[in-house]
Amino acid sequence: MSSTIEESKNGAESAVLTLHKQFLDAGQPSSDFLPFNKKALDVFESLKFPHRKHEMYTFVNTKSLADTSFSLKTENLVQKNFVQQHIYAGCERSHLTFVDGTLCPELSDATALGTSVKIGSLVEAIKDESYKNILQKSIEQENDVFASINSAFMNQGVMVRVGRDKQVGVPLQILNVSSGGKNGPVMTVPRAYIHLEPLSELKLIVKYVGDGDNYFVNSVQDIVVEDNATLTHIQIEADSKEAWNFSKNRIFLRRDSKYLGYQTVSGTRLVRNHNEVWLNEPGAEMELNGVSVLEGDEQSHQFIRVHHEVENCTSHQYFKNIINDRARASFDGTVVVNQGAQLTNSDQLINNLMLSDEGHADCKPNLMIFADDVKCAHGATVGQLDDDQLFYLKTRGLSEPIAKEILTQSFARSIVQKIPFEPVVKELDETLLKKLEGNHG
Amino acid sequence: METKEKSVTEAIDNDYKYGFTTNVESDTFAKGLDEGVVRAISKKKGEPEFMLNFRLKAYEKWLTMKEPAWPNVQYPKIDFQNISYYSAPKPKKKLASLDEVDPEVLSTFEKLGIPLEEQKKLANVAVDAVFDSVSVATTHKKKLMEVGIIFCSFSEAVKDYPELIEEYLGTVVPIGDNYYAALNSAVFTDGSFVYIPPDTISPMELSTYFRINTEETGQFERTLIICAENSYVSYLEGCTAPQFDTNQLHAAVVELVTLDNAEIKYSTVQNWYAGDPETGKGGIYNFVTKRGKCQGEKSKISWTQVETGSAITWKYPSCILQGDGSVGEFYSVALTNGYMQADTGTKMMHIGKNTRSSIISKGISADHSSNSYRGLVRVGKNATNSRNYTQCDSMLVGDQSSAHTFPYIETGNSSPQIEHEASTSKISEEQLFYFEQRGISRENAIATLINGFCKDVFKQLPMEFAVEAQKLLTLKLENSVG
Repeated sequence: MSSTIEESKNGAESAVLTLHKQFLDAGQPSSDFLPFNKKALDVFESLKFPHRKHEMYTFVNTKSLADTSFSLKTENLVQKNFVQQHIYAGCERSHLTFVDGTLCPELSDATALGTSVKIGSLVEAIKDESYKNILQKSIEQENDVFASINSAFMNQGVMVRVGRDKQVGVPLQILNVSSGGKNGPVMTVPRAYIHLEPLSELKLIVKYVGDGDNYFVNSVQDIVVEDNATLTHIQIEADSKEAWNFSKNRIFLRRDSKYLGYQTVSGTRLVRNHNEVWLNEPGAEMELNGVSVLEGDEQSHQFIRVHHEVENCTSHQYFKNIINDRARASFDGTVVVNQGAQLTNSDQLINNLMLSDEGHADCKPNLMIFADDVKCAHGATVGQLDDDQLFYLKTRGLSEPIAKEILTQSFARSIVQKIPFEPVVKELDETLLKKLEGNHG
Repeated sequence: METKEKSVTEAIDNDYKYGFTTNVESDTFAKGLDEGVVRAISKKKGEPEFMLNFRLKAYEKWLTMKEPAWPNVQYPKIDFQNISYYSAPKPKKKLASLDEVDPEVLSTFEKLGIPLEEQKKLANVAVDAVFDSVSVATTHKKKLMEVGIIFCSFSEAVKDYPELIEEYLGTVVPIGDNYYAALNSAVFTDGSFVYIPPDTISPMELSTYFRINTEETGQFERTLIICAENSYVSYLEGCTAPQFDTNQLHAAVVELVTLDNAEIKYSTVQNWYAGDPETGKGGIYNFVTKRGKCQGEKSKISWTQVETGSAITWKYPSCILQGDGSVGEFYSVALTNGYMQADTGTKMMHIGKNTRSSIISKGISADHSSNSYRGLVRVGKNATNSRNYTQCDSMLVGDQSSAHTFPYIETGNSSPQIEHEASTSKISEEQLFYFEQRGISRENAIATLINGFCKDVFKQLPMEFAVEAQKLLTLKLENSVG
């Protein structure tokens, strides 16, 4: 695939290389990270920015992003009250705040977690062989050019490790604040390593917000869920309007483990979520839900790969997009059932609701099956509000705008309400679903 | 099944060696392809200027193109300079009676339920005057001429109806459409041409089988069917009998055009030699570009295909729904076994308003084969109130086989209704047990289940084709399950 990439004419790649040189010269990376940074840069050079027909970016136009020359953010100034208004109820004493990709201890408080959760810097984590191996592999086998940029520039990041048999009662919130680029676009590279030891449980809420404009959050999360452990992972993208948010989750699931993912996108210039899940041992289970509500020129793209490596695993994906104005949404998901992965149960469902003629909805729900005793299904729909349903509500005396509002909101709500954390559901009612009030007709 | 399957294919293979072989080697171009060859082909066929220009333009385009790497198939690189691009039609050696035909081949025919006279024709046995293909064809041709339908070989059409060819050739599949279409446009030797005049319902189903000069259309076949206003035609291509060919690469192009209120129904049954089932060696590469354009309002194109042969199938019969209210349909059964690889599907391009399309695809993969469905549904900005329904089901037989689905859905306005669903399943032990418990043998149970799986497609086929296709599938999957 990469061999056919045309040479970028404007030298977008060279801008990244120059930036990387500055990054090294500034002596930012720790000596433990340096070999990884360099390796990742090699990978970046071999992958290059995607061209128009790149199979992984069929529906995503990254040209304007690649053409923007970013600088790295160094000064991190964010007001305490801004941070506090984004901390969910219940996480007051269990949150970590990152400003422009850097952990701010003065804005963080993890006292409620006690000793069951070990939180540290990746500089520390890298000394552990197991993480080093994961990092090495993930950098070498990287297929996503933007994730390789993250690896090339990473110099810290956070490790969250839940101890064996610890069911953490309080939810942990990671808040990523971007202070924006006042003197031109900036890029930040948050990185996290989440590890759940056997029999443990954690509810993790990751929220992205912006305190300014003109920034690019390019994050990578490596997630390991060991035997019988359960991770609930809620990802809320509520960035500023003029922001790019690319995120890659690399998830490894062991025997009888469970991963429950929820991703909401409330609309920015360009959002792309890349989720790659490996069901590595029998009995592993994963569920991924997503909802985005888009208007104006907002874009949201989902790219998902689920690898069923062994027998008896299940995976479910449910995604809903509401598209208004000139917005674009895409879903590119592949379930790979490898040889020997018998008794796999997998499904995928994507529903797109189109509210305007200028919007775009693209879907590519792929299945690749190499085993014969499996149950796999996928479905995708694109449509508008059902006339019969509208009529029904109107016969009950509701005006057309109100009837439409009820129907569109309930379309999105079916995913929102699945989120197993009340404060998030409440907040989305106020933000995400608010977008659907009024102005469409 | 392995042994049986092997012996059948071997029999066909063997039979070819001494039965179907041609003894005339004259009038064949030396291997290789350059501009001179393209010119020579055109000259040989006595073509008018515009045809030569068409070929040369295609050849130039082809030189700038790259072989596609995106299909989900693997094969050794094709040496395009190692192919002879022109060979005059060769007469085949006739056998005196059916007794001379390999009994294995006959038993295959028997199982498929092919009528005796047709068997003779297929096995290249001389047939008596009444059933001689030439006389049948002549009678048919006469009947068709009465209503004004033109049905002839492509070369004849170039000579007799150059204005129609010039108007429509390359309008649906442009010369630079894809690598193999460009190659075909440069070097195609023959094929079929059909023109249905306005307000005409074809009195019979047209079939390549009844056309004169069908012996050797060559590996680069070209078909053009034009259906004028308010007309209808059903066209059948191929047959269920196993076919062998010395040409490993087949790159055909089929173009269909329907004007206002016209309808074309195009059915294909393909059973080319698929290579050695044990190793996958040999076998035909079937790289075909088929596309129909619903140019007129309320016109309709319907593709039905049963693909059971070829080592590699790479084929996407598509519809360009340009006229308002036009309809595109695609019904497909693709069966792969042995080491076959199939990457097939369709494209539905909704351009006009109120256009509708439906796609029903059934893939069955057995043994070590790989079967992919690849489809695109694109709804353009102006295609308001369009509707698409897609269903692609796969069935896996054996744990070494694989099945893939790659649907692309692209929507550019708010009013379409698009539904896509896919599922994967296998023949379960419970289903088989249920049949066996009722005294139905395992073989018959499997046949019934497979036919049930493909029913939606089979019912679209013309009657006699449907019966044969059902038997063909059963035959192909014998002993594969359980």
